[in-house]
Amino acid sequence: MRGTTRLIWIVVALALLAAPLGLPPFAMTLLTEAVILGLFAMSLDLMFGYTRLVSFGHAAAYGFGAYACGWLLLHTGMPLLFAVFAAGLLTGVMAIGVGWICTLATGVSFSMLTLAFAQLLYAISFKWTSVTGGSDGLAGIPRTIGPFGFAALSSKTGFYYLALACLVGGFLVCRALVRSPFGAVLRGIRENEAKTTALGYNTRLYKIAVVAISYGLGGLAGALYAPFAGFANTELLFWLLSGQVLIMVIVGGAGTLIGPVLGAAFFMLMEHQLSAWTEAWALYFGLIFIAFVLFAPQGIWGLATGWLQMGRSRANPRL
Amino acid sequence: MSTLALLLSQFVDALSQSALLFFLGVGLTLIFGLMRIVNFAHGALYMLGAFVGYSLGTWSGNYWLALAGAPLLVGLFGTAFEFSILRRLYRRDAHAFLMVTFGLALVVGEAVRLTWGSDALKVAAPPVLSGVVFLLDEPFPVYRLFLAATGIVVAVAIWQFLERSRLGLLIRATSQNADMANALGVDIKLIRSCVFGIGCGLAALGGVLAAPLVTASNGMAATVIIDAFVIVIIGGMGSFLGSLIGALLIGFVQVFGNYYAPDFALAFMYLVMLAVLVVRPGGLLGKEA
Repeated sequence: MRGTTRLIWIVVALALLAAPLGLPPFAMTLLTEAVILGLFAMSLDLMFGYTRLVSFGHAAAYGFGAYACGWLLLHTGMPLLFAVFAAGLLTGVMAIGVGWICTLATGVSFSMLTLAFAQLLYAISFKWTSVTGGSDGLAGIPRTIGPFGFAALSSKTGFYYLALACLVGGFLVCRALVRSPFGAVLRGIRENEAKTTALGYNTRLYKIAVVAISYGLGGLAGALYAPFAGFANTELLFWLLSGQVLIMVIVGGAGTLIGPVLGAAFFMLMEHQLSAWTEAWALYFGLIFIAFVLFAPQGIWGLATGWLQMGRSRANPRL
Repeated sequence: MSTLALLLSQFVDALSQSALLFFLGVGLTLIFGLMRIVNFAHGALYMLGAFVGYSLGTWSGNYWLALAGAPLLVGLFGTAFEFSILRRLYRRDAHAFLMVTFGLALVVGEAVRLTWGSDALKVAAPPVLSGVVFLLDEPFPVYRLFLAATGIVVAVAIWQFLERSRLGLLIRATSQNADMANALGVDIKLIRSCVFGIGCGLAALGGVLAAPLVTASNGMAATVIIDAFVIVIIGGMGSFLGSLIGALLIGFVQVFGNYYAPDFALAFMYLVMLAVLVVRPGGLLGKEA
């Protein structure tokens, strides 16, 4: 039943668009953060889910984007909208270098090289005090209003719509990518890189390209976070965030684009609900992860589509 | 302080640091070599070792009992975890392990916080080890020397265990070709449980030994796990000798880097790893990755 799926999409889209009307301010803050993290997790899915490049330093993209955007807003007086996209672009350009070096290795070594880069940035963010503010980070990042009437974007609600637009735009770009011939080569690399090389594709170039795009989108998410939170600190570059975003992708369902967004929302919701309910939230959090791996390996999106399909086969039993 | 004495004291410092790193790295690499899994909970088990050691020490008043008991208990815990949960996942993707052990790290970290509280606990070294000795007329803590010596003893013991004992032989065989070992009648499930337990026990040993130096705290897991990863990657995943070389390299880079260029010390370790991986993607002694 295609109708049901479309109906669900329309309801979700309307709910997200109408959210600022009905939700209290603190819930809007949570939702905006979930949207930003969703974009971040989705960017990793391009690498992890479609190309099986396990970035273990994806916080590098987020933190770099956040610092770049924060710096631009603080020191150049660039308007919010431009700073966000410029920071995303800068992250993507930086990632060409990262991708070039990291793709020398494969498998676990690739993951560890991405980790090394992230930790290197983490170390730099501590020491290059004149630019990054050291252990204090960048504080008081403004949402500068631009000259073209984008003033609405700097309000709380406006910023939510900006983040939502970035998420939807990012999703459309990613979906177009994975459906294109480029995406087919990425899946080829995921399934069997040697065979893909033998078919005449320069897989390393494709890998560098996907790293750059993925980091660029992750940087965009980070660039949204800096003016959202008003600060950028070293936490955003720490490996713990890299681990968390990987978990979001896996819990949501890797290789589905939409799954990681759900994973990020789930992660945020769990963290918030559990920490309100019990002080020992990390304990239950950990147990939930373990349960997910054991009983729902396909992730949230896999579970959801599984249910839909079950309903479908019940509605039109095969004759 | 004469230059020579300074260098010597730094040398022993670096050696003791390497010993601590080695306990972590060797467990991680043994587990990886055998099961192809990256144990994310290794840092948490290291921390658990420190706290269990603290409790055993205060309960019995005997440091040596804590030193022997904590690795044993944590090792048993690791075996139980492998037996009950990891065992179900061997047919699955590698990222299943990443997630399960990440979950375990969270659970253990939180359980430690609930049991022992959030304050750092001071663990005293026994009187025999808490004094100083004079090396080239300069005072030097005995405990550092003890750590370095323990590191050497444990390294030799593991090496002999892997090379000479029957279990060591079976571990090497399973590590090289698990299916073939299984076909020859080796109970590889049992071997995996054993090795996971041994690896966790070694991490705990590192934790107990580090406790008098750095105090047992909730934060100790997050910092060491990355150090351990770096060591294993530099040495080559699954290589025993590699983890030894990696630990020495990183131990020396950390201690000398902290002294001579403290601003860049944090970055040095990763630069070394980058350099090694660019030249040899599989690590110094690893198979080509």
